[in-house]
Amino acid sequence: MTPDTTDSGAALSVPAAEQAPGAAPAGPAAAARPGAGAVVLRLFQKYSLVVLLGLSVAIYGIFGKNPAIFLGAADIRNILSSQAVLVVLTLGLIIPMTSGSLDLSIGNIAGLCSVATAAFYAHAHVPLFLGIILGILVGALFGLGNGLLVVLLRVDSFIITLGTASAIFGLVIWYTNGQSIVLGIPQALLTFGGGNFLGIPDSVYVVAGFALLAWYVLEQTPYGRSLHAIGSNKAAARLVGIRVERSVFLAFIVSGASAGLAGVLLLASSGAGNPQIGQSFTLTAVAAAFLGAASFKVGQLNVLGSIVAILFLSVNITGLTFLGVQDWINQLFTGAALVVAIAFSTALHRERKHRARPAPQEPASRP
Amino acid sequence: MTAVTEGDRSPALRVRSLTKAYSGVLALDGLDLDVRAGEVHALLGGNGSGKSTAIKILAGVVTAEPGGVIEAGGQQARSDQWSPSAAHAAGLRFVHQQPAVFPALTIAENLALGAGFPTGPGGRIRWSVLHKRTAELLAEYHIPASPRTPLGALRAVDRSRVAIIRALQDRDEAGHGVLVLDEPTAALPGPEVEQLLDALRAYAAAGQTIMYVSHRLDEALSVADRVTVLRDGRKVATVSTAGLTESALIELIVGRPIDRLFPEVSQDAHDEGALSLRGVHGGPLHGVDLSVRKGEVLGIAGLLGSGRSELLRMIFGAYPMLAGSLAIDGQAYRPTSPSAAMDLGIAYVPEDRQADALFHAASVRHNLSAGQDGHYFRHLLFRHGAERRDSARSISEFLIRAQSDRQPVQTLSGGNQQKVVLARWLRQRPRLLLLDEPTQGVDVAARSEIYQLVRRATAAGSSVLLVASEMEELAHVCDRVAVLKGGRIAAVVEQPLDAHQLTDLVNTSEAAA
Repeated sequence: MTPDTTDSGAALSVPAAEQAPGAAPAGPAAAARPGAGAVVLRLFQKYSLVVLLGLSVAIYGIFGKNPAIFLGAADIRNILSSQAVLVVLTLGLIIPMTSGSLDLSIGNIAGLCSVATAAFYAHAHVPLFLGIILGILVGALFGLGNGLLVVLLRVDSFIITLGTASAIFGLVIWYTNGQSIVLGIPQALLTFGGGNFLGIPDSVYVVAGFALLAWYVLEQTPYGRSLHAIGSNKAAARLVGIRVERSVFLAFIVSGASAGLAGVLLLASSGAGNPQIGQSFTLTAVAAAFLGAASFKVGQLNVLGSIVAILFLSVNITGLTFLGVQDWINQLFTGAALVVAIAFSTALHRERKHRARPAPQEPASRP
Repeated sequence: MTAVTEGDRSPALRVRSLTKAYSGVLALDGLDLDVRAGEVHALLGGNGSGKSTAIKILAGVVTAEPGGVIEAGGQQARSDQWSPSAAHAAGLRFVHQQPAVFPALTIAENLALGAGFPTGPGGRIRWSVLHKRTAELLAEYHIPASPRTPLGALRAVDRSRVAIIRALQDRDEAGHGVLVLDEPTAALPGPEVEQLLDALRAYAAAGQTIMYVSHRLDEALSVADRVTVLRDGRKVATVSTAGLTESALIELIVGRPIDRLFPEVSQDAHDEGALSLRGVHGGPLHGVDLSVRKGEVLGIAGLLGSGRSELLRMIFGAYPMLAGSLAIDGQAYRPTSPSAAMDLGIAYVPEDRQADALFHAASVRHNLSAGQDGHYFRHLLFRHGAERRDSARSISEFLIRAQSDRQPVQTLSGGNQQKVVLARWLRQRPRLLLLDEPTQGVDVAARSEIYQLVRRATAAGSSVLLVASEMEELAHVCDRVAVLKGGRIAAVVEQPLDAHQLTDLVNTSEAAA
């Protein structure tokens, strides 16, 4: 899975559509110059998910049994608010994914952190903000554990985090006996989920701030650039002086801490430290990350694409539910979207690789 | 070596007018070749001489241009219609430099993967039959191992012999067909080379026709009956090894007479150089002493596997150094990691730019600044403008031909990709530049530009350690060349440098040197 991630999702790229077509084309480079058709194709690829999102909203709005209620639910503010947990998880996830690693434990870490934060409030009576910070720190701690295992054992992160995900779930069930922690959670945290400021739900501010931070880290810092480089070519990254292990290790701490924040948001919105619900988020986050890599910066995991992907998944699942489809549509649609997204980005990568082969080189001649 | 007198048997392999062009460049130009039945025939030549192309055509992996003829095992075919199955039917068997064997599987399984598993009812593998068959083969070829031994437990030479058995096992008679070995000893440790050569002599004595491709001239001379020398895609000569000297052979390969067989060897390793190495051990290196002077280009000449690439990696902190000491500008230096080496002003251009240097889908700009992004990050803001200006400057300064610095680097030609990698380092004004085969897969024009850039860097005070396979290139570019052999610096040659002198030094066996 991880090499695949490197190949399809996390490959560095700048969309060809953005290239300045001017400048005197020189030598073999001219062959790679995109024609008008290719530019249109690239534009379509870039915004296909946005178009699909718009189409979905229109279709459900027109054909749904109850368009008014659907359109209310499909309001971007409501979706972002209801999907705050997922957005934070997904944006945390694309940090290690950019470096070619996968963190499959984020959902379970979020579940554990929601339980742990609830326990801090219920049993230790910590103040509101200390509880939030402790929740995030617990997430970071488990991320650190993942990072240590991946870096020290040099084992595929896919397998390691698949294992730690299950172990974390076991730990939570052991601690809670499978029971939710309902009592003792500060009222301020519980009303946070329902509150709003200037007509926008409070959680949307958290999501927007977090998205801005994730974008900044990935696109505007040397650390983000290192992650892209590692995801593109690990050996080359090491040989340009990037501390590969350290960067990957840190990426897991970041995804763990993000899962911690997601856990706190989960506690705020559900009102209980529920040991069962965390893990269902993992696959959706992976699907959203891959879907997101198919838009805007095509072939590259990106923040905006991930958010649009979450909107797309959420609108369709909500829409289909409004059309009377049962709950199973959630899993079915998410799973199908993941498969389609990966198939699409792999095909795109292959085609690009094929087309981007430089002019024939001299025959390799080794004695 | 065989009882058959010359001429009364048709050649085991006859090739006429074999030609192959890669995008207009002739890799092989009208090759005629006769391999007599029962002989060991060595195919020799320098880099790019066409050896590999010839072997690939014979194996049917590469299709030759029309107009030639390939004849083997009673089959005759037009050169553009030869195929892997035709080669197999004609009795040609190939064992490549890195034979595709499976170390985790047993010898019996490795052999069965070539010839098929004997099966009983229901597709069940009949292990007893397989193990009996394998035991017979092992006995026949004198390999002291059980069929159940995992291949990985064998010595390298025995793994190679198993690969040879696998190639030969489905042939009925030894006199039919040709066994083609592509650099069979390149991956073997020294002491085991002679054992493989002994095995080859034994196969030949049993009537097996062998075509042997190598760059180790002493081996070719000791094992082959005749040699065919290729140069620039053309056959220079086919000669008998009887009475042939190594220097005469080198003369055929290089194309010019040799002035001096053994030049005066000057060893210098003083500590005030830009870089000095003392007793460096690790991997294939067994005590390297070397000193690079300020502002010079010091070449490293050595065969594939001589440790030349490992030496560069070691200095850059990317390969473990077991013992020895290094000094940069007189300061002791212990290479620990590439980033530590970079802090001291060391730069490294790896041999395999696709695998080790390029971020393929990333833009030229990002490839140029890879690893140096920190320079552009000030007060929590990434200075994209400064990065853009720097990349524009680098593109013109380092003669990179690209439409835009946003173009993915993988869309550039090989030469321009290499200039991007070179520019990534040269723009940092390194004290010491380590170059491993910087012109591999690069056309002639870009090649001269690359060396022009290297010379510009040395004029600005950089010192360069250059590894290259082509002796012409080393002789042309370097101030001095150190010959790396047997894990040590065997000689340091000063200007005037001479390609065939270097070829000679590199190829002569250690005993002779």
